Formats: sequence, structure tokens, C-alpha cells
Amino acid sequence: MSMLQTQAGTAVELRDVVREYGSRQARVRALDGVGIGFARGTWTAVMGPSGSGKSTLLHCAAGLERPTSGQVLLGDRDLATASERDLTELRRRDIGFVFQSFNLVSSLTAEQNVALPLRLAGSKVSMKDVRAILTGVGLGDRLRHRPRELSGGQQQRVAIARAMITRPAVLFADEPTGALDSAAARTVLGLLRSMVDEAQQTIVMVTHDPAAAASADSVVFLRDGRIVDRLVRPSVREVADRLAALEA
Amino acid sequence: MFTLSVATFRERWQLFVGAILTVTLGVAIVQSSLLIVASAGGYGEAIAILGLALGVSAFLAAFIVSSTFAFTIAQRRRDLALLRLIGGSRGQIRRLLLSEALLLGVLGTLLGIPAGQIVLSAQTALLENLGFLPGSFSAAWHGWILWVSLGLGIGVAQAGVLAASRRASRVRPLEALRETGAGAKVMTVSRWILGILLVIVGLTLMLVSTAVSNPNGAIPLSINAMVALALGLSALSPVIVPLIGRLTGTLAGRGTIGRLARANLRDGVRRNSSTAAPLLILVALLIGLAGTFDTLSEGAHHQLTDNVRGDLVAAGPIAPLTPGVATASTEYALTIKVTSVNQGDTETDDFPALAIDPAAYQQAHQLPLIAGSYADLHGLTVAAAGGKLGSTVRIHVGGQDLNPRVVAVLPPALNGSPEYLLPRDLVPPPALGPAQSIVRLQPGADPAAVARSLPQPVLTLDEWIAQSDSAQDSLNAGVMKVVMGLAALYAVIGVVNAVVIAAGERRREFAVARLTGFTRNQVIGTALLESAVVTVTGLLLGWLSAMAALIGISGVAGTMVIPWGAFWLTALGAFLVVGATSVWTSRSATRATPISLAGTRE
Repeated sequence: MSMLQTQAGTAVELRDVVREYGSRQARVRALDGVGIGFARGTWTAVMGPSGSGKSTLLHCAAGLERPTSGQVLLGDRDLATASERDLTELRRRDIGFVFQSFNLVSSLTAEQNVALPLRLAGSKVSMKDVRAILTGVGLGDRLRHRPRELSGGQQQRVAIARAMITRPAVLFADEPTGALDSAAARTVLGLLRSMVDEAQQTIVMVTHDPAAAASADSVVFLRDGRIVDRLVRPSVREVADRLAALEA
Repeated sequence: MFTLSVATFRERWQLFVGAILTVTLGVAIVQSSLLIVASAGGYGEAIAILGLALGVSAFLAAFIVSSTFAFTIAQRRRDLALLRLIGGSRGQIRRLLLSEALLLGVLGTLLGIPAGQIVLSAQTALLENLGFLPGSFSAAWHGWILWVSLGLGIGVAQAGVLAASRRASRVRPLEALRETGAGAKVMTVSRWILGILLVIVGLTLMLVSTAVSNPNGAIPLSINAMVALALGLSALSPVIVPLIGRLTGTLAGRGTIGRLARANLRDGVRRNSSTAAPLLILVALLIGLAGTFDTLSEGAHHQLTDNVRGDLVAAGPIAPLTPGVATASTEYALTIKVTSVNQGDTETDDFPALAIDPAAYQQAHQLPLIAGSYADLHGLTVAAAGGKLGSTVRIHVGGQDLNPRVVAVLPPALNGSPEYLLPRDLVPPPALGPAQSIVRLQPGADPAAVARSLPQPVLTLDEWIAQSDSAQDSLNAGVMKVVMGLAALYAVIGVVNAVVIAAGERRREFAVARLTGFTRNQVIGTALLESAVVTVTGLLLGWLSAMAALIGISGVAGTMVIPWGAFWLTALGAFLVVGATSVWTSRSATRATPISLAGTRE
């Protein structure tokens, strides 16, 4: 942990974040005072049994959900209190998303999908950059294909290219390999790894899969809305054992 | 943003077909009606019919487009949330939808302009057939109509998407990550308020209309009451459909299909109200308009049978001292121009009038006056329907301008009865129109013998009343044919569109039902049962809205006629169309094996 923090400070930090759902009678506490910093240029995996609050943690860290209390700091801004307009700005420049279900716009080609965040942000779209980034994820020959003409692994790589085109401060990934076969999953994990190693990309990833988690720099374990454990550069075996212990 | 609109359009064109067709139809009908109106200066009845068609058409087009848009946007919530997720602002979402609507409006207009020429020849032929236009009639082409059509097409599409796009722009980015694309709450606070407000406005207008004694005031009031109530009920239909589903669902039995259908009705609220809404509006318009016409002619019929005293009606003046004739009221029909001054605006209109002999007229017509007396009706005087006693009116008759004093106030004129009575000596003889005489026989005179000595043709009073009924009815029937056909066409587009869109959305749901053990036929049966309940709801609410018009008009007509024949015909048609579409779409949605569908999400 200390090694990670010394690198370059934190990209995102959660301070005593509480997130509750439901009204008085049926109140559920999905996050129960979580405090964690994600260091710049590192890849952190978040694991935990179903209902442990790992998706909520990701959503709060990415400004998709407002915490009931606590702070979420991205740079010098607090996402917990940011306005809708600021959050939109943030999603345009500082945050990228990759999901289990790819979430590509089905009517647009791979190229157009990747260029979309730039268009939404109103910046000048350089097709050269778009092609370069798609070539970078190994899809230089699939530029004009629509999502349905691509395999799951290819679609996920388009989604990664789309998230990376704005050079975000943090890439949030929610089960990025959840819908992929093992070969495609390996390709995607390798891609994420090289982004961290070569471009010092910060990645926060929620996953169920010990193999995916083991590709990360560190793994954080959640149970009942609290961080209960943390491993640095674990093996697949270690992750699986720790997870099994939590679920028992 | 526009690229994305075009791409979405290409990808999801099925969602837009209904709206495009609606815009096309709206543009075509409005364009053709306007061209005919522009050329048909002298044919008042044709203009009246087209005016009604124009209004109904523009209203339905806007209604169907907006409900289709609301529905498709609800279905695309997940896509829209995705755009928000990758940095789209609320304004961009709105612009995306508005430019989709622009595309749709332009496309609909481009199809609608040539279609308008086809509608033009059909409308002209229909109006000629019904006798409202001469056979030689041909509408002239005007260049300005293109701008009107373009404005209308794009305007209707933009207006239709406005409310829905505001709602869509509030979609939260997180919704992109939800499993189902199901939209947020259907009944928003603003929808509740709008619905309740419209219902209140409808009921108030209805009550006001029953108190109005003039048909010219009561007809628009009660039609507006109906439209407000229909819109209000369709806004509230997400609450009402499940309610009726529970009632009628109980009748459908406690079987598995009945249970699932009932649950689906509770669940698919937006889908069901989207299907019920066009039906509701159709029934309200058809039954409301047909009932208004029927009620008015029934009222006019009552006025004649109750008030006219006589035995024979002859087509001409009766010579004095004709044997067998006790009294005869000779009445000359004519059209006069009346100029009214209303807050500085002078307006001249044609009105039907009769030139009469007051004493004889009083014997033949026992219609009680509201004020004044027939005895004063001589010299420069007039009896007017709904005028003010003692005031003067400016009329133009037989080439001269006159300012007679109102000495008698007639009760409001129903269909075709005269608005003004003039003493005969006031009207120069050349201006007198065709005469007819209502003849009362001396006691013991032989009607057949007397009839032979009178100007032919001679009718008995009953025959004469029947004849004036049927003249009025054929006008009404013509109007109804034009309007009904139109409304039905729109409703069919709206309903089929909603059912087709809904079934596409339900592929996965159907597949899951089959994986849980339902047979394909049971799934189709459930969908059919649901659509039947939705149809019943649409019909019932439409009928209720129509009743607002009928109750509103009953005050002035003194009677009320509910056109059951038209209602059952509409009901039958609705069940057939909705049922057939539902079976067809659910069959095609269940054609693939369930397992291949249960997994797919897009």
C-alpha cells in the first residue's frame, strides 16, 4: 500500500462514504463508512460477495450516485456535492466507463462510437486519433463495423477505446470480463494492464472473477458495505481463497 | 448530434413508422382540405365539413405523434442514459430527440405533399358524390400551400416530441446500467395534475354547456368538453387501465393465463395506456360527434312535431278561400345578410329566414316566444332567434339595407330552422324564395280532395316532417362519413403502432414466460387477453368522454341520443384490429426458440 501511494498521490479518494437506500422502514446501508484512496497510475480491483456494496462503491466513486454522507474527491472537486452540470463536464473529461454489457450505441460504427464522447464534449474530432486508438486495441480492421457485427471481446475493446479517447483521469470498469469467454477476457485484461504500465492510467474495477482481480495491482475486499481486507499483487489462488473465506 | 439522430433513425425506423405515417396523413389531409376551401368560396356546407376534417386531422396527428414519441422514448431510456454516461448533457439529449423529430417531420411532409394530391381528388370526389360540390369542381393549386404543409409537418412533429424530450433529458446516467430498459414512474406529478385538471375542465365545460340556450354556443362548448375529458382520461389511463384490468380480469377467470394477464396489465402500464389512448380518442370523437348530430336532429324533429299544427303542406302559396282550407300559413324561404357589430368589428353573415304572415304563422307554429309577440310583427320589424327585444338589426334583403326592430325573440334555432322571421310586406316580391304553406283543414274536409286543389306537390304533415329529417340526416351522414373515416384511420395507425412497438419490447419477457413452462399458445393467449382488456378500457373511457358532449348538448336539444349502432361497430372494429395485431406480433415475437431470446438484451 505504501509503495502505491508514494507513486504520485491519489486520483480518487472516498472519505467516510455512507450510502443508504430505501425509506425509514426498509433502510439498507450499502456503504457503511468507506474510506479509500486510489493512487494515480494504479489498477485496483474491488471484490466481495453479492450485495457487499462493490457496485455502489464504484457508482459513488464515479459520481453516478450521490453518497448519503461523506466526500468523494476527484482532484480538488467533491463529487458528492457537485452540480449536474459539473458532473456532466466531469464525465466528458475526467472519467471513463467500461461495463459488463459493453453499452455501445448500436446504430453507430466502431469509429463513430469511439468518437462520440469527443463530439458530445464539443471538441474537435481527429479521426486519426480515433483510428490510432482502435488500432491500439487491435481493431484497426473493424473501424466501420457496427456493434452487432463484432464479437463480445471486440465490442468490449471498442468500449475501452471509447473510454480512453478523452484520456480520462480514472477509468471505471464494472465486470469488464463478465460477459466474455476466457480467451477474450485475457485479451481485455492484457489491454488494461498495458494501459496502466505504459500510460500510467488509473483503473478502478469491480469484478467477481479472481483471475481478473489478480491482473490488478491490488485487490480490495468488501463485505456488508465495509472494506475488510486488501491484497497487493496477489495470485489468482490467494484472491479465490480470500473471497471464499468472505462468502463462507 | 445530427449524425447520431440519422443513425438512430436508420437503426430504429420501425419505432418511427407510425409517427411518419401520421405526419404524412395529417399533411396530406390538411393540404387537400385547404386547397378545396380556398377554391370553394360559395359552397358553405363543403367548407364546414372540411373545416371539421381539418381540425380533427391536425388534432389527431399531434396527439398520435406525441403519444408515439412518449412511448418510443420510454423504450430508449437505456440508450439515452448511456449518452448521459459518456458525457452527454441534458440539452444534448433534447437536441438529439428534437432533431429526430425534425427528420421525421421532414420525411412525413415530403411523403405528405404528393399524398395530398391523391387525397385531394378523393376528397373532391367524395364531396361531389355527397352533393356538397358541383361535378365540375376542381381545386386550384396554390404555391403557398407547400409552406403551410412543411410548417405543419415539422410543427406537429416538434410539438409532439417537446414534452417527451424534456422528460427524457432528466434520465439519470446510472439507468444505463440497469438490467431492464424499463422507464421510470409513468404517473409523474405533472401527469396527475394535467389529467385531473383536464377532467375538471371537461366536466365544467359540460355543465356550462347544458345551461347555454343557443346551439351555436352549446355545440363548440360540448365538443370542447369532450376533447378535454378525453385528453384528461388518457393522461390518467395508466391508473385506470390496471383498475379495469382487475375488474375485467376477474371475469377472465382464475386460470394461469388470466393470472399472468392480470399481472402484466399491472406491470406494463405505459405500454397499455399507449394502446388505449388512440382508441379512447377515436371513440370519443366518433360517438361524441355522431351523438351530437343525432341529438340535434332529434331535437329539431321534436320541435317540428311538437310545434307545427297543420294537416297538409303544399309547395306554394294558397289562394284565398280555397274550399276545405281553414287556415294556411304561407312561408317564403330566403337568405338574408345580417351585419352584427361586435366590439367594433362588423361582421356580415348569411342566415336562413322566412317571410311570413304573422297571424297565420302563429296559428301553424305553436312555438312559444321567449319575449315579445307576433302581433307586433308588422312594418319595419323582425323576429329573431336569440336577439334582444327592442334592439335593431342591420339586414340586407332584396337589394336594400334595412334596420328593423326586434319585436319577438324566438327560441334557439336547431338544425335548419329559421333564425329570422320577417313580415311578408317587408320583403320585395322578387327577393322571395320558394314558398310552402302549412294548411289546416276545415272539420270534415276530405284531405285527398283538398290536396288536389293545392299547389303540388302536397305532403301530409308527417311526410313533410320525415322529409326535413332526412334532408338534415343526409348532411350529417356526409359529415360523419368524412370525419369518421379520418379518425378511424388515425386510430388504426396509432393502435397498430403501439401494439407493434410493445411486442418488440416483450420478446424477452415472452421467452422467459416460455422457459418457465408456458406453451407458445398460452403466451399468445395471454397477450390477446391483455389487449382485449386494454381495448375494453379504451372503449369505455372514450364512451365516457363522448357522454360529456351528449350531456352538454342535451340542454339545448331537449333530448339525448346515444348512437349505439356506431358504438358497437367501432367496438367490433377495435377488437378485430387490436386482437389481430396482438396475435400477429406475439406470434412473430415467439417464433425463435425461447432460450435464444432470454439471454439477449438488445
